[in-house]
Formats: sequence, structure tokens, C-alpha cells
Amino acid sequence: MNALVLGAGGFLGLNLVDEMRAEGLDPLCARRTRTNVIPLRSRRARMVHVDLDEPDSLVAAMAGVDVVFHAAGHYPRHSQDGFGAMEVGLRQLENVLDAAAAADVRRLVYVSSTATVAASPRGLSDESDTFAGAPGLGVYHDLKWYMERRATRERRFEVRVACPGACVGPWDLRVGTSALVVAAAHNLDVPHPDGIVAVVDAADAARGILRLGTLADAPARVLLVGGNHRLHALRTALAERYGGPPPSPPIGAAEAIALADAEERRALREGGRGRLSREIVDLIVHGVPIDASLSARTLGLAYAPLADTLDRFDAWARRMRIIPPLENVA
Amino acid sequence: MMHQHDQEDRVRQILSDLTAVPVAEIKIGDRLREDLGLDSVGSMELLSMLAEEFDIDVEMEEAAAVADVAGLMALARRHLE
Repeated sequence: MNALVLGAGGFLGLNLVDEMRAEGLDPLCARRTRTNVIPLRSRRARMVHVDLDEPDSLVAAMAGVDVVFHAAGHYPRHSQDGFGAMEVGLRQLENVLDAAAAADVRRLVYVSSTATVAASPRGLSDESDTFAGAPGLGVYHDLKWYMERRATRERRFEVRVACPGACVGPWDLRVGTSALVVAAAHNLDVPHPDGIVAVVDAADAARGILRLGTLADAPARVLLVGGNHRLHALRTALAERYGGPPPSPPIGAAEAIALADAEERRALREGGRGRLSREIVDLIVHGVPIDASLSARTLGLAYAPLADTLDRFDAWARRMRIIPPLENVA
Repeated sequence: MMHQHDQEDRVRQILSDLTAVPVAEIKIGDRLREDLGLDSVGSMELLSMLAEEFDIDVEMEEAAAVADVAGLMALARRHLE
């Protein structure tokens, strides 16, 4: 199988590349001009320059490719410009789909998000729980819904959709979903609302995405989640794990949204990164518990327990100095 | 083989491109974060550009340990020797 990974230098992309190589595959790894290519170079990965805004670069990269793994869907840096985020996300996705059609790609695995999963009257949500229209729960939720809808409407080749929960594991170099763990390791008490967080080990998510691309028979859309956790309980457990004080009580949803919006606007004015981002607040406040048994059964996944995931992340993050090395811990 | 002062000039040029700090103002003792304003993502981007410029393979652990211009120069020297 000739495979191309879009977003190969990113968090999930690197985990996917590792899974593929463990299976004896040698994927072509798409990188942007300003991608951090150090992890790909150290893996001796085959690389190709791709810009999702340059259709020719996409078509060239997909020449001779059977399966495209699209793990580079637009992730807006903030939620203060919904129209702009939608415009970029949908335009880039259209470019990818058009290029795949032009290059006669057989299958595309599109990496979406559990933001597209609706609450279920049964308690746990599964693949059947979808929103009838844009969720209206924030820019990130709407963007992911519109993008997923566009991907699933593709008819020129087969599209399969993976919806991973909050990924935790090695290679989160930008400290995205691992921020909770990193904050706990640094004894930082960032105000948070409470809600359900569906967590998945990044290696399990990558394995699921790979199998979605390689298995002859697989569902058209799967949820990839290892466990559901209440955020405040999770933060309390993380504080205990790292020997810090217990976190402050959760703040209300409206207060969290106002704080995240203010932090994002401040970061836009002054640069840097806000303490709390709006899409994270939206994901927590509107998070639903998820039943990922379909992916476990059909893709042969055995989801790692959270403790194992945290151990793996911890060992890696200490090596990368993202959290304090053990010798510096009192 | 590239001479040491050429290497250092290239490192300074890459730093300048990324930070917009003029080459002449970049000092060997400057810290990437505090003095040149690079956050952790910017620092990784810098090291990635350096790896490509000099065609050297750096491990992420080694890259993550670089905190200042002197460390950058030392890393380039180690891999080019």
C-alpha cells in the first residue's frame, strides 16, 4: 500500500507514522515549509513539501498513492473569527478532496473530532448520535461538523472518518490536549469548567486510523475513545500524581467561556497563548460520554488504561523537558 | 566543509529570519526565549530550520535542551565536525 500522511509532523501524525512503520509500511510524509521536521528526519521518513492551499503540491504528493491519511484538518488557533476559520477549513479540505480525485486515490481517511458527536438519550453516545445541523456550540464544533459533513459527502473515492477524543501521548510537542497534564506537573491551577472529557491514548488513536485505512471491511465512521472522565476528578487525580495541591473548584460554563474569550483576545493583541482556549472550554462544557465499542470490535483495538497512557506521556515529556526532569523534582 | 564562522553566520541569519532581530544584534549569550522572544514552538521551528540548512540529524531530546545562541552554535558544531 502506498500511503500519504497529511499532517505527518504533527502530534497525531507522528504517532500514525510510528504505527505505520511498526506495521512495515513506509508512508510518504507531507510537511509544510515551516513544519518542525526534526522528528521526521530522525525517523528517516520520506518527506514531501505540501501546502493545503496549493492544489498542485497536493496532486503531486498524491501521485501513485492508494490511501491518504488526512490528519491536517484546520485547527483554528482561536475561536474569535468563525467565518475565517470556516473559510480556511473548508477551502483546504476541498483542495485535499479534489487532489485525491485527480490523483485516483482509492481511499481517504479523514481525521475529524468527537466534537461532532451529539448527546444520547441512552447515556453513552455512539456513532449513531450525530447533529442534524451545525451544533452551534462554538466555532470549533461548527467547523468540525461542516468539515466532516463535506468529507462524508465525497463520492469520487471512498472516505472513512475517524473521530478521536482528546489524544494524550508522546509527540504533543505543541502541548495541545496534554496541557492538563503539563499544568498539573508544573503545579499550575488554571481555572476550568467541569464536564466530560473523552480521552484516548494517541497510539490507540493512530492504530485505529491506520486500520481504518488498511482493512478491507471497516465502518465508514468510528469514534476512538479509551475512557470518559469528569474533568475536575481528572485534574484532582493529576494533582495527586504530581504531588501538587488540589485544583480550585470548577468555574461555571458562562464564566469559563467569558474567560477563554478574553484570554484569546488578549493573546491576539499581545501575542503568546491564553491560559484557557475557547474550543477547549466548549469541548469540556458540551462533552458527552462516548461508547467506542464499535471501533474496538471492528478495528481490533484494545484501548490503553489512562494510567498507562499517562506513564507513557510522562516519560516522553520529561525527556523533552516539557515537564520537569525527575532530577529537578524535590 | 563549512568553516566555523560561516556556520555561525548562517545560524545568526536563520535566527534573524525567524525573530526579526537584526543579525548584528544577536549575541552569543542571548537566550532564545527571554532575549529573542521565541516560545517553545518557535524554538523547535528554529532547530528544524537549522537541521535542514546544515543537513544534520538531531534528536528531539537534544534539540529540546538548547536554550540559547551558544547552545545552538555548539549543536551545529557537534553535528558538522
